[in-house]
Amino acid sequence: MPLKLLTALSVRNLFRHRRRTIMLLLAITVAVAGVVVTNGLIRGMQFDMREAAVANLTGHLKVLAPGYLDDPNIEKSFELAPGWQPDLPAEEMEGWAARIRIPAVIMSERETRGVQFVGVDPAREDISFLGDVAITGEGLTDGNDRRVLIGVELARQLETDVGRRLVLITQGLDGRNREAGFRIAGLYDAEGTALEKQFVFTGVGALQNMVEAPVVTEVSIKLADELYEQEVKQQLTGFFSAQDVMDWQELEPQAAAMFVYVDSAILIWFFVIMGALIFGLVNTLITAVMERIREFGMLRAVGMKSGAVIVQVVLESTIIMLVGVFVGVLVGWVLATQWLGDGIDLSQWAQGVEMAGMRSVLTPYVLVGDIVLVTVLSLVFGVLAALYPAWRAVKIKPLEALRR
Amino acid sequence: MSDPVVRCRSISRTYQDDSVPVRALVNVDFDVDRGEFVSLAGPSGSGKSTLLNVIGGLDRPDEGTVEVDGVSLNELSESALSDLRLRKMGFVFQAYNLIPVLSALENVEFIMQLQGIPAQERHERARAMLDELGLSGMSDRRPGEMSGGQQQRVAVARAVVTHPVLLLADEPSANLDSRTTEELLKLLQRLNEDHGVTIVTATHDPLVMSYAKRQVRLRDGEIIEDSARQAA
Repeated sequence: MPLKLLTALSVRNLFRHRRRTIMLLLAITVAVAGVVVTNGLIRGMQFDMREAAVANLTGHLKVLAPGYLDDPNIEKSFELAPGWQPDLPAEEMEGWAARIRIPAVIMSERETRGVQFVGVDPAREDISFLGDVAITGEGLTDGNDRRVLIGVELARQLETDVGRRLVLITQGLDGRNREAGFRIAGLYDAEGTALEKQFVFTGVGALQNMVEAPVVTEVSIKLADELYEQEVKQQLTGFFSAQDVMDWQELEPQAAAMFVYVDSAILIWFFVIMGALIFGLVNTLITAVMERIREFGMLRAVGMKSGAVIVQVVLESTIIMLVGVFVGVLVGWVLATQWLGDGIDLSQWAQGVEMAGMRSVLTPYVLVGDIVLVTVLSLVFGVLAALYPAWRAVKIKPLEALRR
Repeated sequence: MSDPVVRCRSISRTYQDDSVPVRALVNVDFDVDRGEFVSLAGPSGSGKSTLLNVIGGLDRPDEGTVEVDGVSLNELSESALSDLRLRKMGFVFQAYNLIPVLSALENVEFIMQLQGIPAQERHERARAMLDELGLSGMSDRRPGEMSGGQQQRVAVARAVVTHPVLLLADEPSANLDSRTTEELLKLLQRLNEDHGVTIVTATHDPLVMSYAKRQVRLRDGEIIEDSARQAA
């Protein structure tokens, strides 16, 4: 098959009706650029949700006492050997933290609330949202700090402030209540009020003293890359044979399900946009074919095979798709990374954004894999769109075509 | 001793025109010897174009057999027919049917490209053919930039540059004025006499008939007059 000749013919035919070709190119460019930008935004949302899930005191992996998830209390705890730390290569792990996290009742002079009381070593909490929050007053100094750090929203509800005292009641290992007074070191301002209402932090040593047990309820590990997740999980399972080792997908199933769903959503969105475009492309190609039906008749009369005619029409569609996709990807990439590079401020929809587990600034994230997928699928669509017009071109007999 | 390039035996062809059967060819026997210049003449609907199309493998007879250069067309698949047209036949159409996006030179090279002839050779042959037909200054022009006569000459160049066994021309002068028609006919005559190209043309132009060595007249799908038979 004379591919060089057919390619040259296809390219020249595209220049035959410049205005039509330009309009088609514009349509492809806008569609592909739109897909690239929206894919970038959806990916940004997806990664935001994962980051938020991992940063929400979860980490990529967590070691928990069996049954803790169903009934989180101090009885579902375990001891760590003094000086223990994960035996993992530095390039695989971003950080780790051992915590006590138990339900408690917090009381101010005016209000009472139920909270999660979390004992932390603040030096290790750069792996969680606690490492990023803005603090009014002071942060915790170390694991033995006896003061508490509470959220701005909780402070508003309890009608209290930095420097005031609060009472926390929780259960000790022996099943009896423990009650202690804590001074507020500072107020933290998290991305969402849900976190601010839920978590009250103190030093892990201080909380161990309160419950009178040198235990922790969780060891959280943040990995340098999610790629290491299953490998590290296996290692931890071997070490903590009596505990449960769970990944973030098990701990935050809703976020994990959303994460998987987004992959499908990206494909669905692509098919919707490109599907609409393909109708236009098919229509334009049919018009182009019918306008040249005599020419196709002549080509077949002088001996061009049906297959070559099909290839010529498919090449025309593929070439225009190739150019449109290239320009569209370029425009989309520039829009996503330059124009929207600083992100879109969603703070005016803060509540909805918080519910979706996202940050208030949505930054597009353009993946090379998505670009490759869009390019390959668009070209496949270009070929498929040409098949019907090509079939129309060869279906008609040369003699009939020549008589038109 | 005769050397038939075309051999038609008892061919019939009936069309459906608005559900009314139209007998375009009725039991026609027709041979064309190598090197002949034959005109098929007759009024509209006489069957001359149908006969030409059947010989060219663009149409199939309902009955009878057709052979071109010893190959029976009846048993050939569409693909094999395409191949036969590509290798053995040249076509000149009433509406020229040049490819508008190609230059005159590229149009002439086109069928050689389909045949897989190397670039250098087809370039040289196309240029020589255009020179021979007096189109040397036109090689870079596209069909839209040429007159009807020039376009038809390019179409003839395209048809004969591959040295076909048979050149089929359907109303080649229909869109040309008499002066241009005469030029075209002289060209066909020269190709027939100097290069031995076998030509069959369907026409109702008396001027075209006058240039052909053999005139065949059809009416209502039957051959009513053949100058070759009369001479015999």
